[in-house]
Amino acid sequence: MSAKGTPTAAGATPAEPAPVLEAWEVFRQEKDGDPMRHGGSVMAPDAELATHYAREMYGRRQESVRLWVVRRSDVHDLDDADLLQPPLDRSFKKPGGYVMRDKLAAARAQSGQAKPKARSK
Amino acid sequence: MTATAALPATALAGLLLSMADDEFVIGFSDSEWTGIAPLLEEDVAMSSLAQDELGHAAALYGLLGELIDTDPDAIAYDREPAEYRHCRLLDHGRGDWAMTIARRFLYDSADVIRLEALASGSWTPLAELVGKLVREERYHRMHAGAWLDRLARGDGEPRDRLLAALAELGPDAATVFTPLEDEAVLLEAGIIDAPMAELEDRWRASIAPVLADLDLPMPPPARDPERGRLDHGADFAWLWGEFTSVRRADPGATW
Repeated sequence: MSAKGTPTAAGATPAEPAPVLEAWEVFRQEKDGDPMRHGGSVMAPDAELATHYAREMYGRRQESVRLWVVRRSDVHDLDDADLLQPPLDRSFKKPGGYVMRDKLAAARAQSGQAKPKARSK
Repeated sequence: MTATAALPATALAGLLLSMADDEFVIGFSDSEWTGIAPLLEEDVAMSSLAQDELGHAAALYGLLGELIDTDPDAIAYDREPAEYRHCRLLDHGRGDWAMTIARRFLYDSADVIRLEALASGSWTPLAELVGKLVREERYHRMHAGAWLDRLARGDGEPRDRLLAALAELGPDAATVFTPLEDEAVLLEAGIIDAPMAELEDRWRASIAPVLADLDLPMPPPARDPERGRLDHGADFAWLWGEFTSVRRADPGATW
């Protein structure tokens, strides 16, 4: 169901037009108020049948209260490691700030100071 | 009608049997696509539709079973082919995909008219069940309509096959509205809101714009209106052999 490309009928000759199937991504909501989560995908020739098939694959057992069906080619894909997993330390961009643990441990080792014990009341 | 008034049980049983057999037979016919439908998604969809229809049949056989104090499975499986009361529209073999879609369109469009005529009927168990069936049938009509549209607009082979299917099924389409034996009794009791002949008019009015829009022919009048739920023929005899084969393999077994 998640096959890429356009499947052709077995035995199709080049003279015949290929069946126009494309992938549609299906998002489902399990109950009112839940976020829409990716459920999977279906192959279909258009939005109407894609919606029917999404209903059959991801809703016929009453497991969803809402479905979104999105043409896969309409999804803008970003999986560039340079942009998403840059090689330099980006911990300062996290809400917690710098990760100090390793630096503190190194400083203590250098000065021969032990890690302070938890303060007693 | 109050609960104490005499229930027109015989007439009601005839109505329930005709509806249950319709759902049962179209369910089995459609289940023949399982594994061989045009694409995987459609295979699941058609199989699921077929299961829905069998579920509707089970509910209707259940009501009938209570009414006449008989095991619903026995009603569904233990009759001879000639004793089934489904309409002749459903007697044609599975055929190609266009036949299946044409049959589904003709049957589903007629079934909803029949259900609507029963939805506010005086016998609560049936009216309540019909309310649920109508909701499920809505999706069935959307599915059949989507495919009818695609085949009709697919110039060349898809449209040719659809036209051939409609030509074969058309003369039997109106058999869904074959007059029931005790129709007058059901009308009197307020179980159904109009005679079958009037339901057929409503059905024709409902499908006329759809077919006109696709430049498809309207079904002609039923070719043998009085026997529209009799004389099932060889294709049904074969289907009956299939759907009763497991049951007959070990009669009386507990499954």
